[in-house]
Amino acid sequence: MSRIRMLGPKEQLQSCLGCVQDVGLIQLIEPAETESLRPLGLTIEQAHHLRSVRNVVEDVDTALELLGVTPDPPKGAEALPLTKAALIAGRSRRQLEALAEQRRGLEEERALILKFRPFFSAFRKIGDSGLDLHGVRVFYLVLREDGEQELRRMRAALRQALGDGFELLSQPSDSGESAMLLAVPTADAAKAEKLLSEAGVQSLSLPGQFEEEGVSATIRRMQTRLGELPQALAALERERTRIARERGRELAWIQASVRDHLATVEAMEKAVVTPRAFVLEGWVPKAVQPDLERRLGLCCGPGFEIETVSSEEWSGDTVPVVLRNPRLFRPFEAITRMMPLPKYGTVDPTPFVGIFFPMFFGIVLGDIGYGTMLAAVSLVLRIRSQANTTLRSVSEIGLACSLFAVIFGFLYGELFGDLGHRLGLHPLIFNREEAFFPFLGLAIALGLVHIVVGLLVGAVKMFRGDKRRAIGKGMAAVMVVLIALALMAAFELLPERFFTPLVITTLIALPVLIIGEGVLAPIEFVSTLGNVLSYARIMAVGTASVMMAVVANRMVGAFGSVVVGILFALVFHLINFVLGVFSPTIHVLRLHYVEFFGKFYSPGGAQYRPFRHWSVRESASDERSE
Amino acid sequence: MELEMVFLYLSAALAVGIPALATAWAQSRIGPAAAAALAEKPELTVTVVLLIAIPETLAILGFVIAVLILMQGGG
Repeated sequence: MSRIRMLGPKEQLQSCLGCVQDVGLIQLIEPAETESLRPLGLTIEQAHHLRSVRNVVEDVDTALELLGVTPDPPKGAEALPLTKAALIAGRSRRQLEALAEQRRGLEEERALILKFRPFFSAFRKIGDSGLDLHGVRVFYLVLREDGEQELRRMRAALRQALGDGFELLSQPSDSGESAMLLAVPTADAAKAEKLLSEAGVQSLSLPGQFEEEGVSATIRRMQTRLGELPQALAALERERTRIARERGRELAWIQASVRDHLATVEAMEKAVVTPRAFVLEGWVPKAVQPDLERRLGLCCGPGFEIETVSSEEWSGDTVPVVLRNPRLFRPFEAITRMMPLPKYGTVDPTPFVGIFFPMFFGIVLGDIGYGTMLAAVSLVLRIRSQANTTLRSVSEIGLACSLFAVIFGFLYGELFGDLGHRLGLHPLIFNREEAFFPFLGLAIALGLVHIVVGLLVGAVKMFRGDKRRAIGKGMAAVMVVLIALALMAAFELLPERFFTPLVITTLIALPVLIIGEGVLAPIEFVSTLGNVLSYARIMAVGTASVMMAVVANRMVGAFGSVVVGILFALVFHLINFVLGVFSPTIHVLRLHYVEFFGKFYSPGGAQYRPFRHWSVRESASDERSE
Repeated sequence: MELEMVFLYLSAALAVGIPALATAWAQSRIGPAAAAALAEKPELTVTVVLLIAIPETLAILGFVIAVLILMQGGG
């Protein structure tokens, strides 16, 4: 990143900011104030204007959210005057809010009536029994099973509280519960309500317009209303669609232009000025700086100058970060971005993730059938996603993972579990159903490589600053390798005579580790060894996955009918596929974030957010600026 | 001989069962806290998934030990 300073005549500030926005590559920051450089500040009129612009932004954002669509703004259209934009945005917002309010009301009404529906016939029978409902408050109640006993208990409690001044009628409903109607004088309604609440009896509240009516009439009206509501809701939806069709693109254009305008006004607050000149400062990726200087020089005209601020004037903590990787690894930036970004000047782990993530995933899933299914799903996602979106990255990561899953499927000889073996596919390295130890060994060996790579990357990164700690970190990597070799010698995987020299070398390396990293280094070293063991999960999750697939295949013969068996097997394979994608993803992510990143990663970098047009924000959010 | 096999299988079952219960207990505590955190800060999704996955190490290592017991014992 380069820090640049832009200077120009004060009256050109607004037009130059427009140029900066058009170029869209500079993240503006507030320059340091000095005696001669003062913040521009806003006049009362400008502050008022800013408030108006913010109101329009709020109106148009709300309107578009209520419309539920984000149409593309028309290209090359003229920006509307602010007053006209405010009028359209405000009117649309009010209209859409009213529609949403009506919709909410209708949906609440439908939900209430639907709560009553299972009890319609029961309440109608009660209602037809000649109860006089004038001057009384009616409660519609529902009792779960064992209604008789509950009814007696409630009748007794009501008699004790209200004397004989109530009427309680009940009918069993179609759903097996009891519908009850409690009528009490209006004066006693509060007492009855309290009693019902204490007894935990569910009371159905009537929608407002049905109160003050008899039971039969209420039920009849509710039934009619239930038939009318879908049409009413559909009419509201039609109206919303009409507004979206007629005004959607216009609103999207207003949103883009007003937000651009707002960004320019807010950017003015970042300028410092002398009586005649303005100064702006910002961050720009080094690779694009020459082109940017040329374009801004042409756009801003004479009197405009750009200079690079010396790196001695700023510290790395304040510099925004852009991840820059070759095309092959770029999708894996999505995985790095899920963590806080690395600090400026530290290591971007994306290339390592790009190599190890799909490989570990493939080793765990390791099945030609599941790998092919994943490839198909990823391919569909890739076709349906837009360039430079997270979904596109996910689909490309999925394709890489599926490739490794198919490769390891061939090596294990697995096609939907042991179906491959039955079809004549032979394992080229080992059969995961039986070879637990070789698989465990492979998992631990991979962990060893991964952790040693992490430690070495950390040591190399540190070497520029703290050389002593870098040597300590490097020594930890050496010790991990030495211990692994010593264990191999102990288990006779290497000649036994190597054991003693390896142990002695490890013991000699220990003081170097302590000198380099401090007295707590041995504890951290033990934790590093624990990190290596954590890679055993590759074997555990992989074995679980293949065993599930084997169980699915055995279902074919486990049921009387072959067809039923095959159906069960297919469903089980589908479940295993979902688990087989989800579980390795989580565990391999964890191995990266916790075990691997922990060895060198320095989080805390700020995202690079250039000052650019609102309409390009989405597609450019993942753009590489170099 | 049969009694030996009983103990072998029992040991393997305990080796995977007890850590699995411990994992379940840990996740039962993390889960609600994670759901509450996500309700307020959806951007914590990755951290939450990792936090939930961390106790699974117990069950996974238990599983590995159980396999080792069974393999060593010839089960």
